[in-house]
Amino acid sequence: MGMTVVVAPFTRRQGRELLFCLAAQPFALLNPLVFFVLAVDLIWLAADGGRGNPTPAQMALAGLCVGLLLVLLVSTGAARWLGSLQRKLADRLLKVQVAPPPPVRRRSGPGPGLRDGAGWRVVAYQLVKLPVGLIELYAVFFWIGGLVNLSYPLLWGGFRNHPPGAQLSPLPVFTPFGLFGDGTFQVTTLLGTFAAAAAGAAMLLAAPWVTRAVTAVDAWLIRGLLGPGRLAQRVHDLEQSRALAVDDSAALLRRLERDLHDGAQIRLATLAMNLGMAREKLGDNGPVPDAAAARELVDAALRGAKDALGELRSLVRGIHPPVLDNGLADALASLTADRAIPVELEVSIPVRPTPAIETIAYFCAAELLTNAAKHSLADKLAVRAAGQHDVLLLSVADDGTGGADPTRGSGLAGLAQRVAVVDGRLTIVSPPGGPTTITVELPLHA
Amino acid sequence: MKARIVIAEDSVLFRAGLARLIEDRGHQVCAAVGDGGALLEAVAEHQPDVVVADIRMPPTHTDEGLRAALEIRRRHPRTGVLVLSQYIETKYTARLLEGNAAGAGYLLKERVADVADFADALERVAAGGTALDPEVVGQLLRASRRADGLAALTARERNVLALMAEGRSNAGIADALVVTGGTVEKHVAGIFDKLGLPPDEADNRRVLAVLRYLSS
Repeated sequence: MGMTVVVAPFTRRQGRELLFCLAAQPFALLNPLVFFVLAVDLIWLAADGGRGNPTPAQMALAGLCVGLLLVLLVSTGAARWLGSLQRKLADRLLKVQVAPPPPVRRRSGPGPGLRDGAGWRVVAYQLVKLPVGLIELYAVFFWIGGLVNLSYPLLWGGFRNHPPGAQLSPLPVFTPFGLFGDGTFQVTTLLGTFAAAAAGAAMLLAAPWVTRAVTAVDAWLIRGLLGPGRLAQRVHDLEQSRALAVDDSAALLRRLERDLHDGAQIRLATLAMNLGMAREKLGDNGPVPDAAAARELVDAALRGAKDALGELRSLVRGIHPPVLDNGLADALASLTADRAIPVELEVSIPVRPTPAIETIAYFCAAELLTNAAKHSLADKLAVRAAGQHDVLLLSVADDGTGGADPTRGSGLAGLAQRVAVVDGRLTIVSPPGGPTTITVELPLHA
Repeated sequence: MKARIVIAEDSVLFRAGLARLIEDRGHQVCAAVGDGGALLEAVAEHQPDVVVADIRMPPTHTDEGLRAALEIRRRHPRTGVLVLSQYIETKYTARLLEGNAAGAGYLLKERVADVADFADALERVAAGGTALDPEVVGQLLRASRRADGLAALTARERNVLALMAEGRSNAGIADALVVTGGTVEKHVAGIFDKLGLPPDEADNRRVLAVLRYLSS
């Protein structure tokens, strides 16, 4: 009854954090220092029966044993397994999701071998886990000591109801500054138990924060040491963006093939066919047997040639607009000129970005302008491009209806993907009712 | 001979031009459709002498024209099939001919510009013959592992071999090379002798023998 009243004000999350502090204790003991002390004691006991002091030679031997043990732990993969157990614990109890380190490159022997960085990082974690685990134990003590102190008035009423004058041993009070009343105070009267209860209440109020603080530190360590590692994470990100780039260029080539096949190529085949038929109508020599039909066919061929040229021109523009060679400012100017909705353009790019970045920025601007014209019902558009430090900021704003959502339709999502390939970012600010500003952040050099 | 023809081609302009070309030649276009499914229906309805089909058509834009053509060859053995494409794929040739070159053809689309040649190929397929694109034959010749056997042929004999592989008759070869029929017959006999092939009268079986030789 008393328990539930006390625990009720505390959230589930604090319960989980407390549980984590408890569950961390056995792991804190799997510590190279603990191993070393144990090894020294065992060797000392075996050699001298525990008499005198361990000799330096015995300590060196113990150090060697611990070193071998660590090598064994790492090279067999046991260290990785220990790390994964603690990652799971953090996931379940702290709701801290940490990706596993990348799998070991296949090698001949069993286990990941001696040069497994992830395994050695687990060893490093175990090394710092001892002090962290001790603080976690201290946090647990806040809860238990607080509860014990809080229960003193009840305890007194239940068990210490002796007649006056009876000699009673003092009750030890637990505080963060001392155990069993050592260094702080002890209570010997009912009134005193209320002071203990007050101290307990204060400890229980502080307990969640102590637990929170120490588990946060532990979570930070888990992320840093039991996760994929910064370099591995970067490699993972790069692998993903490379896959995106490859997909993107494959899709581009496929679309190009399709456009050529269904466009210019078939138009030229039709044109050749018309010319071939016209040639027949013109006859081999002498008077033309069917001049009217020949003329008509030549006209059709001419139309076909013009259409094919137009199609090729727009296709070529889609691959690489020639005006981009003069720089992004010119290209954006020609892109924003003569639009159905007026576009305000502001460009200040003191340092010219690399061609790849210019191309990506150009196509982003083109697609964002098309999107805005199609969906926003805007009266005015604004394009801004600014180069600051090493970053190119391109923004397209409209005064339209807002509510742009990358999850609906693949346009914005595809754009974000293409930008991510060069470590860029796409930010969408588009509250319902507008206005919308979409900002593309690109490195100047990629 | 007046042939009854069904056209399947998804480009409207090309389809219209093709229909006109064929009608100008005095044949009858029974139906002109835009995809593989419609082609099968039109063939079942009209039982044409020959079908002219684009390989790449909606909905998948891959090889539905070829698949429809194979289906037609299975279901209507008396209907010739001439497939057109903007590119040559040797695999397609193998799938189309598969043991029987009678009434089958595979040409690049741009061949329609040589109206007389194209009409000749179409009529050949309609009559149960074969029409393979020079590009197909060229690829087979280049990729053939029978380099030794081919090296034994004279330049003229190689020309004749290529034209044979395209499916042309002796008379057609004679026309193309501007020589007499007798000369062609002599060359053909020489080729079959040098390559160790059994002589065969029927043009389409002759095509198959040559193709088998080249691709074995």
